Amino acid sequence: MFAMVTQLIVSGVATGFIYGLTAIEYTLIWNSCGLLNFAHTKTIMFSAYLFVGTFLAIMANAYLPAVICTIICIALFGVLIALIIFIPLRNFTRLIAVMATVMLGTVLNEGAVLIWGSAPMSAGGFLDGRVEIGGVVTSLANIYIIVISVLVTIGLRLFMKKTKPGRAMICVAQDKVAASLMGVEVKRSMALSVAISFAICGLLGCLCAPLFRVQQTMVDMVGLKGFAAGVIGGFGNTTGAIAGGLLLGVVENLACMVVPSMYKDVIAFTLLILFLLVKPNGLISVKKD
Amino acid sequence: MLKIRNVNTYYGAIHAIHDIDVEVNEGEIVSVIGANGAGKSTLMKTIMGIVKPKTGTVEFMGEDITSASTAKIVKNGIVYVPEGRYIFPDLSVADNLMMGAYSQRFSAKELNDLMEEMYEMFPRLRERKKQLGGTLSGGEQQMLAIARGMMSRPKLIMFDEPSLGLAPIIVSEVFDTILKIKEEMQIPIVLVEQNAYKALSISNRCYILENGKVTLSGESAKLINDDNVRKAYLAG
Repeated sequence: MFAMVTQLIVSGVATGFIYGLTAIEYTLIWNSCGLLNFAHTKTIMFSAYLFVGTFLAIMANAYLPAVICTIICIALFGVLIALIIFIPLRNFTRLIAVMATVMLGTVLNEGAVLIWGSAPMSAGGFLDGRVEIGGVVTSLANIYIIVISVLVTIGLRLFMKKTKPGRAMICVAQDKVAASLMGVEVKRSMALSVAISFAICGLLGCLCAPLFRVQQTMVDMVGLKGFAAGVIGGFGNTTGAIAGGLLLGVVENLACMVVPSMYKDVIAFTLLILFLLVKPNGLISVKKD
Repeated sequence: MLKIRNVNTYYGAIHAIHDIDVEVNEGEIVSVIGANGAGKSTLMKTIMGIVKPKTGTVEFMGEDITSASTAKIVKNGIVYVPEGRYIFPDLSVADNLMMGAYSQRFSAKELNDLMEEMYEMFPRLRERKKQLGGTLSGGEQQMLAIARGMMSRPKLIMFDEPSLGLAPIIVSEVFDTILKIKEEMQIPIVLVEQNAYKALSISNRCYILENGKVTLSGESAKLINDDNVRKAYLAG
């Protein structure tokens, strides 16, 4: 019993970090540009294809270089998208930019079929295997996901607090006019935020590749639950995003003990609705006056 | 050091400022006064590159900055403390001050000295350095905005309506500070004000704006005794 609960918690924490990182990734764009990136799930999917279908194939299973190449490519793609969608469209009605990101999602979806074909792929031996720690058996992928996510979250926090470009991003999120009067190049800072957001999508693509079959709809549910994680945690802040993700991941995994696992998604979205009803500001709310 | 020549700025079809010539020299306080909507803030925004003029040039220390980005202009040494203060509400007082030095490359020691200097000048800010900017009172926010502006060691500093919405005793404090910045730190100042009497009494020269045009300019000491100015701006 204990082992089973622990195992469910470990895999819940791993899935929770995936949701949390997804929430962070779109929160970054929301904070800097005031827009939601509806193409984010498709970006994660596209990254998974790029990782498995291109880089792993070329590099003959040299995992780390393939992951790094994927992240760099997607981040550069993010800069391009910032320059053609997020920065020029932010001053129009929200709907235009929203439509643009939805369209981007479609382009990525169809692009993936065009480039890699419609047959699903698998990540092969990447993060394959099991580990046993004190009687608790879990997949190697879960351990990697937890460790990498913790490092990324801490790294991102340090970057925001300690470096000049990071502090500029915080200021741009709070007040763009004031930030420019401090000497911040606002558009450059927005492009950087989008690039980091896309880089996280790239990382998520690699991390999700061993969890799911690589296909067009592989992370649609992750995208939705990542969104839910952001709302549960408190929209707009990164600490809340991780907290919301972990809560969601652990609860839906533990729920599998009492209800059939096919109802996992029901549990997750019930939790979302409960939070919207009872605590709409989320676990950790950002004060706004 | 700042020369504005023949500047015309539009908001869409609205001609906000007409053929404006303004000059600021080393070591002086230049005030710009005028009614609401006369174009005072537009003039400041044009200098800062927040809005671009249709015609005319803005020159700062011999360099044409008419089409430079706001960030570049700040780097060059012009700091603008806008109306409404624009404090970062969710950053602490100390972090707000830190951001003031963003445009310049200072060493950790220089930054520390600068912070210390600001806390000496505004002891209230030292007491509240951990507090969030958004929780300060109006007067404290104005002091923070001024101190934040000074953090980049500007070559020219422009204040837009620094007395707006403040209690009379705080207003005097703000004007004393502005005078101190000019006398002790030798930083030239542009002061935009609706409080014409205060502005005229602390500035060396003054420009009076009406409907986007400079209608009168000259030494403040003379303008303060001018009958037309007295009637229009100083209420008798």
